[in-house]
Amino acid sequence: MTNITVKESLALNEKYYTFKHSSGLTVYVFPKEMSSSYALFATRYGAIDNKFKLEGDEEFTCVPDGIAHFLEHKMFECENGVDAFELFSRTGASANAYTSNTRTAYLFSATENFYESLEYLLDFVTHPYFTEQTVQKEQGIIGQELKMYDDHPMARLEKGLLQALYKKNKIRIDVGGTIESIAQINADLLYKCYNTFYSLHNMVLAVCGGVDVEKIEQICDKLLKDSEEKKIIRDYECDDEPYEAYKTRSECSLSVSKPLFAIGVKINAIPSEPNKRLKQFYTMSILNEMLYSRSSEMFNELYDKNLITHSISASVEQYNSYFFNEIYSESSDPEAVYDYFVSHINDKKKNGLSLEAFELAKRTLYADNIMMYDSVDDIADALVTNYLEGTELFENSNIIASITFEDVEEMLHSAYDERCYAMSVVNPIEKEEK
Amino acid sequence: MITKQIQISDGVTINYIETEKFKSNYISVNFISELDKESSFLNSMIPRILSHASGSYPSQADIDKRLQYLYSASLTTKNTSYGQYHIFGFLSDMLNDKYALGTMVADEMVNFLCDIIFNPYLEDGVFSKQFTENEKLEMIDSIEAEINSKTSYSITRCIENMFEGEIFSIRKTGTVEDVEKITPKMLYDAYKNALSTCRVEIYAVGKLDIDKVASTFKAHFDKIERSVTKIIDITPALIQREIKQICEIDDVSQGKLCMGFRLGKSDDAVLANLFSELYGASPTSKLFVNVREKKSLCYTCRSIMSLKTGSMCVVAGIEATNKEVAEKAIIEQLECVKRAEITDEELESAKKSLKNAYLSIYDRPSALATWSLNRKLSGVDSTPMLEYERLDLITKEQIASFAQEINLDTVYFMRGELEND
Repeated sequence: MTNITVKESLALNEKYYTFKHSSGLTVYVFPKEMSSSYALFATRYGAIDNKFKLEGDEEFTCVPDGIAHFLEHKMFECENGVDAFELFSRTGASANAYTSNTRTAYLFSATENFYESLEYLLDFVTHPYFTEQTVQKEQGIIGQELKMYDDHPMARLEKGLLQALYKKNKIRIDVGGTIESIAQINADLLYKCYNTFYSLHNMVLAVCGGVDVEKIEQICDKLLKDSEEKKIIRDYECDDEPYEAYKTRSECSLSVSKPLFAIGVKINAIPSEPNKRLKQFYTMSILNEMLYSRSSEMFNELYDKNLITHSISASVEQYNSYFFNEIYSESSDPEAVYDYFVSHINDKKKNGLSLEAFELAKRTLYADNIMMYDSVDDIADALVTNYLEGTELFENSNIIASITFEDVEEMLHSAYDERCYAMSVVNPIEKEEK
Repeated sequence: MITKQIQISDGVTINYIETEKFKSNYISVNFISELDKESSFLNSMIPRILSHASGSYPSQADIDKRLQYLYSASLTTKNTSYGQYHIFGFLSDMLNDKYALGTMVADEMVNFLCDIIFNPYLEDGVFSKQFTENEKLEMIDSIEAEINSKTSYSITRCIENMFEGEIFSIRKTGTVEDVEKITPKMLYDAYKNALSTCRVEIYAVGKLDIDKVASTFKAHFDKIERSVTKIIDITPALIQREIKQICEIDDVSQGKLCMGFRLGKSDDAVLANLFSELYGASPTSKLFVNVREKKSLCYTCRSIMSLKTGSMCVVAGIEATNKEVAEKAIIEQLECVKRAEITDEELESAKKSLKNAYLSIYDRPSALATWSLNRKLSGVDSTPMLEYERLDLITKEQIASFAQEINLDTVYFMRGELEND
């Protein structure tokens, strides 16, 4: 009988259950009265995990870039020749999967037959099947997918930024890999990665919607086998990363109507304690709202100078091995935007931030954190993110509430070091006059 | 589904859908007009200029600060077309008062919306020259960027050609030339005209004091002399003619094929949706399975149903040299449906995924409001649940009969330059 913990938030009027299944899997069950229910089954394994070993192994294993993503594709091919998507079409569920820098996730949403779909999910992800023929077939398909992303302005913009900010950090590895790197993948390597990272001790299941925790537990009992936990040692080789940005610029040309730009700030101080790291994340988020939102000085001054017409998007990306801030938009003159950005930040450091802007930004973050609970997808995703980060979902609200104006001012001074800035630009292709 | 309906003025109705399942409230204000070459491009600009600045909040920064103060309330402009209808206005998501630590968000947001709509920022009695120019530039940017998304651009071009000379071909935003000639006075006159002649449907979803919302809007509408233009619902023409073939050259590596079909006289939305799901709108549809997967002709191949315009588009991304083969395959799949060559699995899958879609509408306030408005404009009294329940009653023969009335009208193809051009 598993020990089920209840987490409750009276302020949010929400409650969820969590337990560690005998197989090693951590499970979250968040009941929510919506028409749709959602399940997310993820492993702590992504593009950054290219060098690893199990405790007791002598040597580290190094794998080609793009293998985690490749594995995700192959997961859907079942031994009996059935495509896993077909299973979900029988129950009417809408299934998908994705690979990121830090995780691989398999998911579905359904308005009916949820438990049947959940059984399919747990079953197909715990039964890998890789052969040389199926690997070769996939190389062609993924090759096409990589070409598609080569034409994708946002994908190119993001890739350019990461490769400019970071010299060694694994975050710069492209999730899909390259045509050359995926050519080195074979069935043995796939099994090696699968057997290391797809241990249930390294995985998490989050379900949200019209779900009952006891029923979920029964399904886990039915489908998941107990296994021995083997500690995974990951080498992220962070020590070789220089303090400053590796390159200040990254540029490419694509068929776009106007240049896109992304300005990144590499932040080297990464708190090792999860709640402190989460507080840093939210403090940066509040600072982003103050500096770049449509009410900000920067947005309005750039808009008035006709340097930008659309909003500036801003986000913080963090994990235990990297932490950076990114803003992006379109502009006819990205260099002018960059020059403005540098002098504006210096100006803010010198003259201080606005308390009014802080209060408004904090309200925004507080509200967004609450409205997230209207979406079963977002809740399940947040449960998985918090698990991977080592934090607790409802604690997020308290951390946001605890942030002070002084915290934000201190963050501006410590995080915004000009030596750590880089900009990535996607320019329109120069068309010859006909 | 509609908890309460309140008429507050000539042609102005509040539609309230009460639900306590969200932590947010939703309000949309929809001005209803008809697609028209002379006025639609102006009407498309109205929500933009109004949300740029208002009497009480005379700049973009002021507007945004107010929204942040109201706990990150959103204010989004709406500009859509539905058949002959052009719907423009605003929508807003806001935090439920329960969580707003004392701020009466709903009341304040309704007051704010009224300020935006009824108390615009003016200079010399018309919209600001500077703000008008700003918004024109942004609109022109959007129009020029349409070509960035080749798939949706090819659908637009197909529709424009298929309905040439008919109301459905009119672009709601107009062309770049149309937008360039807009002056602050032209825009202001269009705004005044919209306020006095457009039907207005206001939707509220969540838990609100709807009588209070109604009386706030009413107080403003009462100050306006209204004479609502009646729009006569157009039944799409049943035309059969020689197939139009259009080919345009652009800098694309992959060809975009868009085939425009005219439907028959059926106005049954559930039947139309089920046909479309089965034929080409889902990953288990005939087009996806046969044209994409089995024949490997394309990465995307899907159908888009528009009962309101009496048409359906099939769009596919293909190699330029495969145009005739792809056209043939797409027609062949339609012929299968006409012959009722539909397996039990195909029908079951289509019904299941459509059921999923109908039930999911209840999970998003904006989806509930939009769905309800569109049915209302069609004069249909229905709910997603009622339509869901009808699905199991529809037979293969009924789907085949619906398909038998569908005819190819226009083929649009966009491709890169070929050697023998």
